Amino acid sequence: MSTGSVLDRNGLTALPLAEKIRRSKEIIQEAISKFGLDKLVIAWTGGKDSTLMLWLFRETCREMNMTMPECIFIDEGDVFQEIVDHVGQVGKIWDVKVNVLKNTDVLSKAEKLGDIIRVAELNERNRREVQRIGFAGEEFPFEPESMVGNHLMKTIALSMFIENNDIHAVATAIRWDEQDARQTEGYFSVRHAPEHTRVHPVLHFRERDIWDVIHDRKLPFCLLYLKGYRSLGAKSSTVRFSDLPAWQQDLENTPERSGRGHDKEMIMAKLRDLGYM
Amino acid sequence: MLNFHQKKKKKVVILGIDGVPCSLLRNLVSRGIMPNLASLVHEGALSEMTASIPEVSSTSWTTFMTGVNPGKHNIYGFMDLRKGSYEYRFPNSHDIKSDPIWEIIGRHNKRSIVINVPSTYPARPLNGILTAGFVALDLRKATFPESAYQYLQNIDYRMDVDTKKASQSLEAFAEDIDQTFRTREKALLHFFDNEEWDLFIGTITETDRLHHFFWSAYEDDAHAMHRFFIDFYKKIDALIGAMAQRCDKNTAFMIVSDHGFAAIKQELYLNAWLREERLLKFRKEPPESLSDIHPESKAFALDPSRIYINLETRYPSGSVKKEDYESIRALIKDSLQKLSIDGEKVVKEIFFKEDIYIGPHFESGPDLVALPHRGYDLKGSLNKNVLFGRSIFTGAHTRDDATFFLNRHLNIQKVNIMDVAPTVFELMGIEYNACDGKSVLYG
Repeated sequence: MSTGSVLDRNGLTALPLAEKIRRSKEIIQEAISKFGLDKLVIAWTGGKDSTLMLWLFRETCREMNMTMPECIFIDEGDVFQEIVDHVGQVGKIWDVKVNVLKNTDVLSKAEKLGDIIRVAELNERNRREVQRIGFAGEEFPFEPESMVGNHLMKTIALSMFIENNDIHAVATAIRWDEQDARQTEGYFSVRHAPEHTRVHPVLHFRERDIWDVIHDRKLPFCLLYLKGYRSLGAKSSTVRFSDLPAWQQDLENTPERSGRGHDKEMIMAKLRDLGYM
Repeated sequence: MLNFHQKKKKKVVILGIDGVPCSLLRNLVSRGIMPNLASLVHEGALSEMTASIPEVSSTSWTTFMTGVNPGKHNIYGFMDLRKGSYEYRFPNSHDIKSDPIWEIIGRHNKRSIVINVPSTYPARPLNGILTAGFVALDLRKATFPESAYQYLQNIDYRMDVDTKKASQSLEAFAEDIDQTFRTREKALLHFFDNEEWDLFIGTITETDRLHHFFWSAYEDDAHAMHRFFIDFYKKIDALIGAMAQRCDKNTAFMIVSDHGFAAIKQELYLNAWLREERLLKFRKEPPESLSDIHPESKAFALDPSRIYINLETRYPSGSVKKEDYESIRALIKDSLQKLSIDGEKVVKEIFFKEDIYIGPHFESGPDLVALPHRGYDLKGSLNKNVLFGRSIFTGAHTRDDATFFLNRHLNIQKVNIMDVAPTVFELMGIEYNACDGKSVLYG
């Protein structure tokens, strides 16, 4: 089935859950046969979507009588302890190998958020990357969700892993209904520098579907969702707007990622209301 | 100098009233609208105070809480630029580089309650309780410790007025101000009565919101919101009374505001002015952000009145060479001083950064800051094509005419917002000499 047009995407998003699961397993099978088990990794953030994706990989591999591909977990230096716990526990029970990816060079220069990192003290690779994204300053604060921080801590940590291990494909759990920027993504998407393919097996799931499958199949999930978080990112930039468990919130009419990295937009809106922007 | 016995156990209470000019309080006192304040004024000293530069809440309250100038505390406004870029960033409590009063006295085993002081978000742990003021986004992150959050959550505490309502309906906005004030007052008195503390700071920000949108209602008794405006100050007076009544003779009671207010005559759009002077241009029209700045630009402005020279060494599209820095600043100062509207000068004074800032964070400060005459509001908007205009706002900040009150018979000549923190230290008998201001008790 094509994912090219809005109609195709709407059709896929409207499928019954059992069909959605079947569709995801097909994508996973296709990815495994295309790239092979040792050239494909699963990006597991510990969030609900990637935990569901991991379960889908597990089911598919069980049915195909194969071992699981390995997982990668990016530690950008500001991870919720609850996420670390969840990944540790579930990884053990499901018997998956988790590679923790870090930009150790940057991490070694900062003890806590907000610490100033001097560009000149970084290694050659990181200095080159800072330059490549057009940052002209001599120093920047250690904040994983800032432009420089995000690039070095997440993008470069992943790039280096791909290069060093000759990885050809990375499966990530993005969804069409998550945010507008993702609505034109396909199941397989080629990326450059470094060259690899992104595989998106759960693109057609809606937020509600994710929770329905999790509850229906009694899958584990990170406790932060029980406390009201709907979407998990870096600790310092993720907030919740409700005390209700994520799945009991108004998923259809309120934005999923509003608690995440959107502080800046919210501050700007408040300042604008007072005439400061 | 304080006597030894006074050092024993001195408590300090500060009521912050955001954006309340001293002249307004004097006026309402003389008209019998604020009887509680009137009787306090008999027993103490009420004085005009000078605010920070720029005269904006984030900078002024940070100056209040640290007793130092922005060159040391590092907060020059609600927004700043990421170092080496034109990307806006929004400083928060972690960007404040000097210790606030409560962290200093906390090291002397003194406990503080700090409610709704702007620029304290997210809450930094302290010996005591803090719930942050503007721009606070999430009550849990705004509040330390967790038990205080639980209490505030239970009473439906409102962090701020929903200012969007001001453009929708007068009644809804008025109701929102009242509701926010009610939960604020409730929380304030709850912590006042039920917690141990040595320093209590409670700030009301509803006043500033009211003034921005409805300053005209104060001056015009035919205005639909006039009654509400006056009644709101009666409520403020009732809170002043409730707090003063709870203070014994040994407790110092202060009232402090962070800037004054005046009726807006015109807003002046500094970036539009810089463009007209051919000192600023953009690569595309209209610019989407400051990053669209053309490399030939000499300067740009940020809210509320800060001008930055587009130095080659400082910004990605910077082109001004170090040797031209002084001549461009002089040119801007000279031209801006001449600016007038309907024959009236707009800018009262222009400061170079070295005239007003000193300290380790001097570099991040603006190269020039303009201080407008009363009634002119200097804005950093990027998209204005005209020099002057009016908006929904009817009040503009003033640097002079902020408020300082202390329940001591003092002859206060001149007080600056930097003087508040050292006064608190002296009242509490704590030696701390790192402030730029000086205690008003020295006279």
